Amino acid sequence: MSERNTVWLRPPWGEGEPKEFDARPDVLVPAMVAGWSQCAPPEPEVKEHVHD
Amino acid sequence: MSTTRLQEVLICFGKQKQTDISTANTGAGMWRFGKLNAALANPKLNTENDAEEYGKGHEFPTQSFQTSWDVTGTLEKYLGAEIAAWAMAFGLGKVVKSGATPNFTYTCTPLMPASGDAAELPYFSFVEQIRPGAGVVLDRMAVGCVVEGWTIAIGSGPGRTNSKITIEFAGSGKVTEPSGIVMPAATAEKLLPSASLALSIDGVDYVSNKNIVSLETGWKNNVRMDGGFYPGSGFQTAGDATSGAIRGRLEFGNRQGTLHFTARFESGSTELTKLKNQTTGTAVISLTYDANNSLEITWHKVSFATAEVGETDGIVTVAVECLPMFDAANGIVSAVAKCGVDNICQ
Repeated sequence: MSERNTVWLRPPWGEGEPKEFDARPDVLVPAMVAGWSQCAPPEPEVKEHVHD
Repeated sequence: MSTTRLQEVLICFGKQKQTDISTANTGAGMWRFGKLNAALANPKLNTENDAEEYGKGHEFPTQSFQTSWDVTGTLEKYLGAEIAAWAMAFGLGKVVKSGATPNFTYTCTPLMPASGDAAELPYFSFVEQIRPGAGVVLDRMAVGCVVEGWTIAIGSGPGRTNSKITIEFAGSGKVTEPSGIVMPAATAEKLLPSASLALSIDGVDYVSNKNIVSLETGWKNNVRMDGGFYPGSGFQTAGDATSGAIRGRLEFGNRQGTLHFTARFESGSTELTKLKNQTTGTAVISLTYDANNSLEITWHKVSFATAEVGETDGIVTVAVECLPMFDAANGIVSAVAKCGVDNICQ
């Protein structure tokens, strides 16, 4: 099974959280027209290892 | 004394976009191509004089002043996957890159200020050199250029000339001489020939019915050139008010898309009916080198503005001018350009 080809876009006017989209024209084009722009993927959340 | 012939001219320009209008691309962010047209991107220095001023006692000029700089240029090329991706990304202005070597995909749409996008197009630097170094004839870099428009022309016939792209560009006026750029190696191009065309317009597959004769499609940004000169836009030499003003921004004006084609006209051809009914549909133009190198341009809603029956080489044909319109969901146009080169317009 092939890995899903995705990109991260930030919302119009830069307001809100980035979202992951399938890298297909039928998905990307409406989003781009609506103001979504490519951005770097968010940094993975770092969880502190807590020792009991 | 050796004659300088124009075949020696080398050009390279920003594959990646500049960080802003005044910060030139570095050599690492540029790529080199050949071209078909002889014209150079000559920087033009505009001057004024004091002939019209009173107080001199006569009507003749006594002084001249460097006022501003212009840079414009045109690139004509056989259409290839790499230059197509570059023209779509820089020409339309908004790009999303996906994929990985050897299949990068650049999905490109026009910038939409109403949705929060900038009105400034991505900037690149353009270098022309003839014998750079000790015997230099020409070595200059226009900084802060944008794509004014592109036109793709597809014709009938066997040669490369039947699939061409023409790109017009305009610059801020800032010019660096010598460029300081070491010309990169020539880019290997994957040509997108006319014979690879797939074409569907308003529900008709013009390739499978073997009726397409020629096609031309284009985009024009109508850049607001004078709007680049605003109070404080800067000078050719920073801090030197006598060196001539340069532009501090290049914004698109009222943009236009164009699509017209000529097809054989026969019994059952629908062009005239569609013109009368003002039928709308999509127009999808695809050209392919292989699975990793291609260009697909989609006009999301077109109607026929004119359709005239005539002839081409003695065959009855119809010449159709389409009207590209804005579709509420998909906008006016999108381009999906695939090639093996990373970081175009990034």
